[in-house]
Amino acid sequence: MEETKEQILVNRLLKKEETAWKELFEVYSGSLTYVCSRYVIDKEDVHDVLQNSFMQMFRSISSFEYRGNGSLKAWITRIVVNESLKHIKQNKSLITVSEDFEIPDETEDEEPDFEEISQQTIMQMIRSLPDGYRTVFNLYVFENKSHKEIAEILEIAENSSASQFHRAKAMLVKKIKEYKMSKTAQYE
Amino acid sequence: MNNEWLNDLRRKMEDHTEDVPDGLWKNIREELFVENEEKKGVGIGLAANDLKAKEKVTSTKGYRSLFYRIAGVAAVLGIFFIVGKMFDFNFENKTSNLIKPIDNHKYESSKTSSNHQKLSGKKTDTALQNFSERRNNLNTIEINNSNQIFVAKAFGKMVNKVRNQIDNPFLNTLDQNQNQSEKSNNQNTIQKEEITIAELKESEENQPDNELLSKEEKGWKDKLEEEKLKITNKKSKKVWMVSLLTGNASANSTEQFPGYATLNGTTYSLPEIRNLEMGEDPLMSILLANQDKKVDAKLKHKTPVTFGASLYYNLGKRWGIGTGINYTKLSSELTSGTSSNFVGSEQTIHYVGIPVQVNYNVIQKGAFTGYITGGGTVEKAVSGNIKTQYIVDGTVKEETKENISEKPVQVSVNGAVGLQLKIIKNIGIYAEPGVGYHFNDNSSLNTIYKEKPLNFNLKFGIRVSLD
Repeated sequence: MEETKEQILVNRLLKKEETAWKELFEVYSGSLTYVCSRYVIDKEDVHDVLQNSFMQMFRSISSFEYRGNGSLKAWITRIVVNESLKHIKQNKSLITVSEDFEIPDETEDEEPDFEEISQQTIMQMIRSLPDGYRTVFNLYVFENKSHKEIAEILEIAENSSASQFHRAKAMLVKKIKEYKMSKTAQYE
Repeated sequence: MNNEWLNDLRRKMEDHTEDVPDGLWKNIREELFVENEEKKGVGIGLAANDLKAKEKVTSTKGYRSLFYRIAGVAAVLGIFFIVGKMFDFNFENKTSNLIKPIDNHKYESSKTSSNHQKLSGKKTDTALQNFSERRNNLNTIEINNSNQIFVAKAFGKMVNKVRNQIDNPFLNTLDQNQNQSEKSNNQNTIQKEEITIAELKESEENQPDNELLSKEEKGWKDKLEEEKLKITNKKSKKVWMVSLLTGNASANSTEQFPGYATLNGTTYSLPEIRNLEMGEDPLMSILLANQDKKVDAKLKHKTPVTFGASLYYNLGKRWGIGTGINYTKLSSELTSGTSSNFVGSEQTIHYVGIPVQVNYNVIQKGAFTGYITGGGTVEKAVSGNIKTQYIVDGTVKEETKENISEKPVQVSVNGAVGLQLKIIKNIGIYAEPGVGYHFNDNSSLNTIYKEKPLNFNLKFGIRVSLD
């Protein structure tokens, strides 16, 4: 069976070749920075978390199992998510979100339309969510975690995860609507 | 409930990238490839240090270094005074044979210092008793506490919350105990030091009286004194001096308390890692391996290391002011766990400071100047980091490094007595034993300055006068 490009890179990474690691960095660092920035806001912290993530990859590359194309990216992304969460926990205050908010009504059945909104703008909206909401939202939407899993990861109650998620979602919908309003207002 | 749009959102954002932080690859490369080779050498050095550090954890440690300190001070003072007299003696006899007297005086000085050791030894005995009593108390607390941890562990997932609750108050009380004992030790030390210095001075003052000098010799001596005074008067014009110093501030300190601890105050917890699917996590391995063992956290502050360069400006014959710049490195080590499975953190903080000093020359004898000095230093932390190693079964499983973003300003005051020996025309060496006090910098950083704000230090240096 012919080895894919990704497999060849993995083999070189295993030998701890500097050029291979540089290649990995060049190919994926942009996407990993995006993943990390979803969780961590401060630029210097993003830098540190990513640096630690690469250290972690370097150390544990031998435990990586190639399971077809894209598995390398999935693996390194998971490491970045884990390192980001570790960072968030070390700066604990972020997770203590007050729970005395009202859960908004689940009546808005119209789906927000973000077709025309740029990735950059959506990213900004996600990053502007309060830390606790954002962490839950990211884990649920982008990491496909269930509320049960999120509750375990963040050491919070399961219903707290769910309510924070709904709140985050509502805030995001509101942000998208406001953005569209301001856009259309500009054209008129 | 329709969350379909969230899937769209995920799909939309899938290929999104953000600007990579500046210099990230450079730092990673340095960590992984450049340092990798150098680190091996350093690693061995560190390991040796660790061994030493572990030995030092024994209860006698503090006192052994106290002996060194007292002996050091006694020896320095003794050598300076005796060598000073030796010079006079040589002048008197106008002999060029220096070697013999030096040997004699060396012997003498070692004798005096050993006497002082004996004297201070008696005093430390009582202190040692006190200390061992305190240790016993601590040990019982430790045992109680570890039992509780043990029980708590049996409850699996509840572990962390429970342990946090148990640990924190205990740690606090332990900290307080430690601090108190540390403080009283410090006071003991200082008192003793003062005593030894006083004794030394006394004996030095007595000695000249005992010496039988003939009238002729006294006459010679007086004349020489006058000549020297003239010379020094001529020379004590206002001059700038540059000095290099290295400081050795007191001993390091060690604390021990049960349970796990981190340098930044967070606690380790199991669930954090439970859902990571990327192979075994080292912290998990450590926590599991130590599950039914007594775990301790050991916090050790290493001796601060200071280098600096300073400028002195002589204001007349007796007074002088000085300023300059100096660099201090503070490092602390924290190990949590058992001897083969533990988390080791090393915190290093670099300070750059500006000292301001006022010197008052008390005596000037030939090439020697005895002075007292006092002043303050403002230091700013310029960088710091915490390196964490996870050691499982004696091997390093993982290593992380994070930078400390907090950069506090540290203010300290100090006073010292100093002795300077002029080697050649404008180069002199000096030794300054003194006492410094570091004010609380109100930061969360845990350093030796916090632990022991009042400490004894000994500075050595070279002064180059610029005329």
